[in-house]
Amino acid sequence: MVEAFAVASGKGGTGKTTSTLALGMALAEDHDVTVVDADTGMANLLFHTGLDDAPVTLHDLLIDGAAVAVDDAVYERFGMKVVPCGTELAAFRAADPERLRDVVAELAAGTDVLLLDSPAALGSKSAVLPVVLADRTVIVLQPTIPALSDGLKVQEYARSYGTETAGTLFNRVRDEDGIERVAEQAERYFGGETLGVIPESDAARAARTAGEPLLAHAPDAPASRAFREAAKRLDVRDGASESGDVADRFRSAVVPEEV
Amino acid sequence: MKIPRGDLIRSRVVDDPGTTLATALDRRLTGYAVFEPQDAVLLGDETRGVLTFEAGVPTLAYCTDTDRGGADALNDLAGPGPYSVDLYELDDADLAETHEADDLRVPPGLPAERLAANRDLVTRTREAAPDERLGDGDGDTVAAFLADEAGIEAIREQAREEARARAEEWGLTDALDD
Repeated sequence: MVEAFAVASGKGGTGKTTSTLALGMALAEDHDVTVVDADTGMANLLFHTGLDDAPVTLHDLLIDGAAVAVDDAVYERFGMKVVPCGTELAAFRAADPERLRDVVAELAAGTDVLLLDSPAALGSKSAVLPVVLADRTVIVLQPTIPALSDGLKVQEYARSYGTETAGTLFNRVRDEDGIERVAEQAERYFGGETLGVIPESDAARAARTAGEPLLAHAPDAPASRAFREAAKRLDVRDGASESGDVADRFRSAVVPEEV
Repeated sequence: MKIPRGDLIRSRVVDDPGTTLATALDRRLTGYAVFEPQDAVLLGDETRGVLTFEAGVPTLAYCTDTDRGGADALNDLAGPGPYSVDLYELDDADLAETHEADDLRVPPGLPAERLAANRDLVTRTREAAPDERLGDGDGDTVAAFLADEAGIEAIREQAREEARARAEEWGLTDALDD
């Protein structure tokens, strides 16, 4: 059983990586969860998980002819399987985004929930592939016009590839944002439900500095509790029943052979 | 919009228009900024946006390309950047007549919200704004944005078209959901 979610936002700074790991840790209480840093151009999941010095990362898996097994880039951390991505520009340039499909297919075969921390951009093939490959998206928003506007764009891109919205998360919300009204209005435009409203949190910054996911660093912080509630609202669906089918599903998800 | 030419005090390319807004605010500048988005792919070469300031607080917005003013002008200008920006200073009296154009007015915090998504700057700008400027629904800009169904549909429609055009560019058309 697997469902792959792209955790996406059109805009940077919404706390997408924090959200991905928080959902991942919360879902890991009931599921086998794999978290992948699919933001190959601006990776930062490694910093949130204390994997700054990981010897093998997703970049290594995306380089043509590299003699590295997918498992070599999988690290057991905080109750999840974590696949970090490196930060070197040279490695990003050498990486073939197409190979993400095979990596995702292989990872999907061995897990229940796959969370793809997706780039905060839509301007390149590598940025869009995670929402192409995923079954559904979780869109991370902030109650600002640019974040909502970019969230709408991500949703339309994803829908163009048949990837529906599982729900939205309002992150880094402050008291003065009038979030109830904003969330209610936003629900008319976004698929799924508002999974959660996460308060702005100093703990999230501190967690990042400590190299830990928020839920590990400050499990009782209001933001952590809100993330756990959000994870409960996310209904994980059964994907293909056999692992072989799962792999095929992702392999056939994109068929852009060079012509 | 007619504005007397001011004294150029700064001319540069910025990734974040918030930089310019913060400069104007910190200097309590009366004058105007001319924003020219560098993203020539999406906009015509001639696109320019003018934003006027009264003692550092944004007052009017106008987009030359679309001939729209106020919040619409900010929407026309908003983009990924970078922007080429010229910042000019004027005497209060020079802008008095221009500032009578109510149809070009923007809520004080809206430029920082719309162009920079910088909520601290929105708050600082609102704090600096005179009370009579805060009555025009500034706190509800996000709600107003979401209430504009036609505007939202336009964003979605544009994104759909863009997604399809780029899918072709990237060889992803087979993955599109028809």
